[in-house]
Amino acid sequence: MGKIEAKNIIKYFQHDGKPLKAIGGVNLTVDDGEFVCIVGPSGCGKSTFLRILAGLEKPDDGEVLLDGKKLVNTGPDRIMVFQEGALFPWLTVEDNVEYGLKVAGIPENERHDISKRYLDMMQLSQFANSYTYQLSTGMKQRVAIARALVMDPDVLLMDEPFAALDSQTRDLLLVEMQMIWQKTKKTIIFVTHNVPEAAVLGSRVAVFSHRPSVVKKSLDIDYKRPRVAEDENLGKFEKEILAALRHQGPK
Amino acid sequence: MKANLLGKKIAFYVLIIIVWQGIDSAEIWPDNIFPSPIQVGEDLLYGVSDGSLFYGIATSMWRLVIGLSIAIGGGMLLGIFMARVETVNQTIGSLVLGLQSIPSVAWVPLAILWFGLSDSGIIFVTAIGAIFAVTINTYTGVKNIDPSFIEAARNMGAKGSQLVTTILIPAAFPYMISGFKQGWAFAWRGVIGAELLFSFLGLGFLLNVGRQLNDVSQVIAMMLVIMGIGILIDGFVFKKLEDKVMTKWGLR
Repeated sequence: MGKIEAKNIIKYFQHDGKPLKAIGGVNLTVDDGEFVCIVGPSGCGKSTFLRILAGLEKPDDGEVLLDGKKLVNTGPDRIMVFQEGALFPWLTVEDNVEYGLKVAGIPENERHDISKRYLDMMQLSQFANSYTYQLSTGMKQRVAIARALVMDPDVLLMDEPFAALDSQTRDLLLVEMQMIWQKTKKTIIFVTHNVPEAAVLGSRVAVFSHRPSVVKKSLDIDYKRPRVAEDENLGKFEKEILAALRHQGPK
Repeated sequence: MKANLLGKKIAFYVLIIIVWQGIDSAEIWPDNIFPSPIQVGEDLLYGVSDGSLFYGIATSMWRLVIGLSIAIGGGMLLGIFMARVETVNQTIGSLVLGLQSIPSVAWVPLAILWFGLSDSGIIFVTAIGAIFAVTINTYTGVKNIDPSFIEAARNMGAKGSQLVTTILIPAAFPYMISGFKQGWAFAWRGVIGAELLFSFLGLGFLLNVGRQLNDVSQVIAMMLVIMGIGILIDGFVFKKLEDKVMTKWGLR
């Protein structure tokens, strides 16, 4: 039994008023402490699949199990990091990070202790009282990651969180993300369209096929950490991923 | 630049007063039809010295504040419901658009019949004149919230009234401010209009007294006071509030 299990997930999109099968029966089991990256061609429904895991969308068929229990709704046991961060502009960095704790009714001093720990981890301490419009895109994603980590979720779901970053900031966050994973031992599912990013981050990479998507290939990446994107030894893993992506037939 | 702008404004108003005095000195119309700026000024000073002006202002402002508060509270509630519950929007929403087209003074006869010549009647007219502007802006604001804010909050465990107070209201607040601003403008027109017709204390009443006494300079003096308060509240209360919110929300 995995930590989180997706069983035969099927999802239709509405396209010009007609249903279009986007996800065609995805099975994915992620073990406790795994870092799984999902890659796939655009439009294959990988982000939608992640949203289904988060409980933000309902599948048309299939089910999601967490520790063997069927999930119905969204909840803080699976925290999502959104592509654009989805930070609340009316709150300071600190209040953003503490939002979920406040909702959970955790007392103020305890909230501060927890948020301080993660603000330190993400090197955000000096920005605790800033508003999000004062931050760079990279800083915003750090806040979004800190806001997710304070909830101590069973599974961390990340939807292309580094897609909008410049390459320098991204390289930095790729290294940090590995350190966070090693330190917190979180189960992470990370959606990306960037193959090198998947090879750097994933302990395993799941390749989705073109829609209606299924898991085309599951590739373990057994290589020392921290990895960096320019490491040539990652090249053979990247080639395998690319081959699986390419091996899809015509669109 | 800023001093320059202020200089232009002062010069313009000084010019108006000079022209006004000039027309008056030309004796085209008698003083009881076209008073001089000095007469208007004297009337204002008289109102200040016997306190009737302050009493009038205080009465109108008190009614405005109560009426506008009701409009803001009710309008926000209605707007949020309209934005979040489709059935409410399809039913009450269409009625709100219709009701908003009724000028607030058109509510006066109904208010008199329902509440009599009382403060409640004037407050009713003030509130009903403003509530739909707040409702519609709140509705638009909530509808325009980035859906990922709501999803992120729900994902972190927020639901029900917690979602409303911690996400929907603050996220829609920049729109709501526009609603409050429009609401205030409608409320101010409403309160003065209602006081004119109710003839029951307040600045609108003083305006009407001027007419009944054939005292044109009193009428003009009261109009200037009504305009002055409008400028003050617009420029200080709402402009400041709007600037603050827009900056904090990162919208400018």
